[in-house]
Order: sequence, then C-alpha cells, then structure tokens
Amino acid sequence: MPATPLWLASLEALLNRQLAMRSESAALTQRLSGKSLQVDVDGVTRIRAVTAGTRLVLLPGDDSPCDAVLSGTVKNLAQMAAGVGSGVTRDRLAGGGGSAGIQVRGDAEVAAAYRELLSLARPDWEEELSRLVGDLPAHRAARLARDTSTWLRRAARSMGENLAEYLQEESRDLVGRTEVEEFLHGVDELREAGDRLEARLQRLELKLAGTDRHAGTA
Amino acid sequence: MNDDNAGNDANAGGGAGQTVDFGFERVAWADKARRVRSVFESVAGKYDVMNDLMSLGVHRLWKQFALSLTGLRPGGRALDVAGGTGDLTLGMVKQVGKSGRVVLSDVNPAMLEKGRDRLLDAGIAGNVECLVADAETLPFADHSFDCVMIGFGLRNVTDKPAALRSMLRVLKPGGQLIVLEFSTPTAPGLKPLYDTYSFRILPLLGRLVAKDADSYRYLAESIRMHPDQETLLAMLREAGFAQALYHNLSGGIVAVHRGYKL
Repeated sequence: MPATPLWLASLEALLNRQLAMRSESAALTQRLSGKSLQVDVDGVTRIRAVTAGTRLVLLPGDDSPCDAVLSGTVKNLAQMAAGVGSGVTRDRLAGGGGSAGIQVRGDAEVAAAYRELLSLARPDWEEELSRLVGDLPAHRAARLARDTSTWLRRAARSMGENLAEYLQEESRDLVGRTEVEEFLHGVDELREAGDRLEARLQRLELKLAGTDRHAGTA
Repeated sequence: MNDDNAGNDANAGGGAGQTVDFGFERVAWADKARRVRSVFESVAGKYDVMNDLMSLGVHRLWKQFALSLTGLRPGGRALDVAGGTGDLTLGMVKQVGKSGRVVLSDVNPAMLEKGRDRLLDAGIAGNVECLVADAETLPFADHSFDCVMIGFGLRNVTDKPAALRSMLRVLKPGGQLIVLEFSTPTAPGLKPLYDTYSFRILPLLGRLVAKDADSYRYLAESIRMHPDQETLLAMLREAGFAQALYHNLSGGIVAVHRGYKL
C-alpha cells in the first residue's frame, strides 16, 4: 500500500474535528462500519473513505472493491460537499441517481450515508482559524471576510445595474424592460388583430362562395 | 522486508540463546534493553538540544504533524509510550485539557525524570502522570486510552510485535495508535546524502555536543535496522490494528504509521 499523502491526513483531521462536535455523527460512523466509499475526482485523484470507531479515515483510492463510488469533476463534487448547486440530495443518492456531473455506482444507501457524514463534517472556518491565531483575530478576520464578500456582491450588483441603466437610458444600445414589454404587448395585439382579420376574410370568402353557387344554379 | 531488516524476525518472540539487533551488532535478547537504557542515560541531559541540532529543528514539525492526527478532545485519555522528555505529552495535554489525562511513560528513569521536570516547568500538573513502564508489558487495564502515541521509541524496543500488541490492548475500541519513527528515505537521491549525514556528521555532533559519539552512532545504526514503511505497516496489521496506513515525512526519513482498534 502506498504512503498516504499528507494533505489527505490534514483533511481527515479537519473533518474528524467537526465530527467530534456533532452528536449524531457517532451513530452514523457506527452504521458505516465495514463500508467503504471511493470518491473519484475526474483526472485529479481518488480517495477511499472508511470509518474506524467514531472517526472517518481517508486513504488513497485504488482499484480494490468498495461498497460505493462517487465520481465527478472537482467543481461538481465540491458543490456537493458544500451542499449547494448540484441538487444531489440524500433521497436522490439513495434512489441510485446522481445529478448533472456526478455518477453514483454501487450501494447508493452507503453513498447517501457517507454524504450525510460529510455534511456533518463541514468545517467551521472561523473556528479552524481560531485554532491557529486565537479567537479574537479569527473573529475579526472572519468578519472582514464576510464584510468583504457582502461588499463585493453589492458592488457587482450595483455595477450591473449602473451598466444596464447606461446602455438603456444614455447610449440607447439596449432597450429597457418596460419598452420591451410594451413592444411585445404591441406585437401580441397586432398578431391578435391579424388573426381576427384573417378569420373575417375567411368568413367573407365562404359567404361569397355561397352566393356564387346560388347564382349559378339560378 | 529488505536485508537490513532481516534481524527483526528475531524481534518476535525471544528467549534463551536468541539474539536481537542493537544497531548493527547482534546482542543477547535479554541484553538489548539494558544497553538501550545505557545509551539513553548517557544522552538524556543533552537529548533535546541534540534533537534540535541533528534535525535542524524539523523534529518539531514531525511531532506537530503527529499531534494533529490524534483526534483527542477535551476529557480524552492518552498514553505517550517511550515519551522521554515529553514533547508529545506536552502537545497531548493541551488537547485533552484539564478534564483529560495523559500518561507519560518511559522504560528509562533518567529520560522520564527530564520529561517530568520539563512538564512541571511548563506549569503542567494534575492531568498528567509519569510512569516507568516497558512498552512490551504496559501496566494498564484493557481499553484505557483514546490514543496511544510512540514517538521515536519503537526502534529501541526489543520485542516490537509484543509492544504493538500491548498498545492495542490498552486502547479503547475506536482508539488510535500513532507511531512516529525514523524510516527508509524514499525521495530520489536522498539516501546517499542521508547515509553520509547519519554515519559521519551525527557521531561527530554527538562527540562535540553530548561528548558521546558511540550513542549517536547507535542511533544512526538503529534507524537502519528499523523495519521500513511497508514492513512496519504489515506488523501493525498482524498485531490486530485495523485501517492501518502511513505517511512519509521529509522524503521518508520519518514515517507516521497509524492504526485503529475496532
């Protein structure tokens, strides 16, 4: 068996610190005793997860048999681990279905249980930082990160709105939503009027055709 | 198993007439413990200084990495086997907090005395015990500890399989053994440099700083005679540890082996 990379050991230690703080993790790890999950990150790495007592153990992945395999791109698996975006739910995994970009093979119940375990192990970054630099600096750094993130989101939204306003109102390269809606409403009215006109013309044609038949027979 | 490690076959069992490695020498089974004790009695006073000097301080990072894997929580119980001057005990005491308990054990009273003094100087008392104990016959009840650590000690043990079994016995179910030990360099090109350092510079440092070249020559030789990564992994599995694995540090100069009691 090859040496287990150090980053895997650090990741395992990080996840186990979170699991140790969650009371529900013990029952889950016991339930997964003897079951293994392999995560194949497309073209990057393979990780084998097993449990030992109440702890999660991460090993280098290999071709030996395992109970379940999750495979996907870094982005999709990261989204699944973060619990966002991918739409992979426990029920969907248990039903044997993955989601866009993630394939599940083997025992889907095992895959779903491991996913639940990983969701319990999601790191609290502020707490992790406090282990390195202390509570107060960690709290301030986390607040700074949150404030920066909020500011960036607001700035991006505001910039988008200003750009849209300039293109619509100043340069007139784009039309506004109201103008588009008015235009589409006008198109709808015109189409309906056209439909009505067509119906009247058809009725008129029918009438004229009836008049001609009567005249011919007389 | 490589040729260098052939002597370790004799580590399993032992008895009258059997020999075991002591560095590159073969000595009587019963003699190794006495000679190891004599080495460490000789180096105890300068042990910490020499560790920093020999590894250029890197041993602190190796120990920090091993400590990051313990999974110990406040209130936990840990055992530091062959703990010597107590570096790892100090780290584990911080992890288990006031409500936990750490036992620092060593077969050598001189090393243990240094460790105890160091802990007291660091203001640590109450949740730590110091105990002279042989790794092969640990004097604790079954299922006593959440984590057992042995740092740079296993290679000096006469009967390594017996020590591993003993450590497994005192672990609680789900508990973890961590073995931090010198191993076999795996990084390309490292071995010749490492050999030169071990057999030329290390004894020289021992002679100049600790006034004891022979003891440091033994340390270098004992590292060569210690099982390589894969052999030790197999020994852990054979002793009954589950989910056993290892990590190489500094290109394989040091390895951390881990295993769980299920």
